[in-house]
Amino acid sequence: EHAKMVKFLKTGKAVILLQGRFAGRKAVIVRVFEEGTRDRPYGHCLVAGLAKYPKKVIRKDSAKKTAKKSRVKCFLKLVNFTHIMPTRYTLDVDFKDVASGGPDALATRDKKVASCKAAKARLEERFKTGKNRWFFTKLRF
Amino acid sequence: IQTLAQLTPPPRRHPRAEAAADAATSPRGATMVTSTKKTKKSGDNINNKLQLVMKSGKYTLGYKTVLRTLRNSKAKLVILANNCPPLRKSEIEYYAMLAKITVHHYHGNNVDLGTACGKYFRVCCLSIIDPGDSDIINATPAGQ
Repeated sequence: EHAKMVKFLKTGKAVILLQGRFAGRKAVIVRVFEEGTRDRPYGHCLVAGLAKYPKKVIRKDSAKKTAKKSRVKCFLKLVNFTHIMPTRYTLDVDFKDVASGGPDALATRDKKVASCKAAKARLEERFKTGKNRWFFTKLRF
Repeated sequence: IQTLAQLTPPPRRHPRAEAAADAATSPRGATMVTSTKKTKKSGDNINNKLQLVMKSGKYTLGYKTVLRTLRNSKAKLVILANNCPPLRKSEIEYYAMLAKITVHHYHGNNVDLGTACGKYFRVCCLSIIDPGDSDIINATPAGQ
């Protein structure tokens, strides 16, 4: 008997948002709330995604231009499982200071901004290493 | 003098096995042994197993609940009708690939699948959470 039921909505999974302002954007699951919380009595997760993808960097760009083109704009969002499309890709970025806040990382405005900045820094440094290239390319549709 | 070969009759092969073996060795037989000759029997089989699941097991019908059971990995088997829209079919197959759950493509459209479930409505996709007394999960291992 194959009782191998794999949970695939885990932290580090790359997903695509399907609804809302960030529909079509790629994001990483930072934290999963399987059973939901009292405010959100459904399965949802905290995702960190790319509001603005980094632009294409070419070889003859100056260092200043490369730095400018490699910037990302990040967003943090609590999103229902039904509004994300999981992919087979993962992005193992350490989001500890973003996730440790948990549900209240998005509670007040300044906490959200701080978490967003931390996530942005992490994503930018991952982009600069050149890994996970799929994640940092815009999904064309 | 009769030789031993003449004395012993040739081993009697079951007509269905013969047909299956013929299908397997036929030039078109790149497919598995479950070719057209055997489909009638396995079509009935799936219907019987599905009937048993409806009676004794747990299942959900419909696209939204199928995705939900795939997401929380409660599904053990997903069955799709053959006229399922291709985008929906590939989406469910992708989820099932991530969750390592087999998908069975039913030989019939959603009307037939609804009838096989004993319902009076059309069923495009269904997911079996708990097979109950049925052995439908083991009977369709990699079965597409």
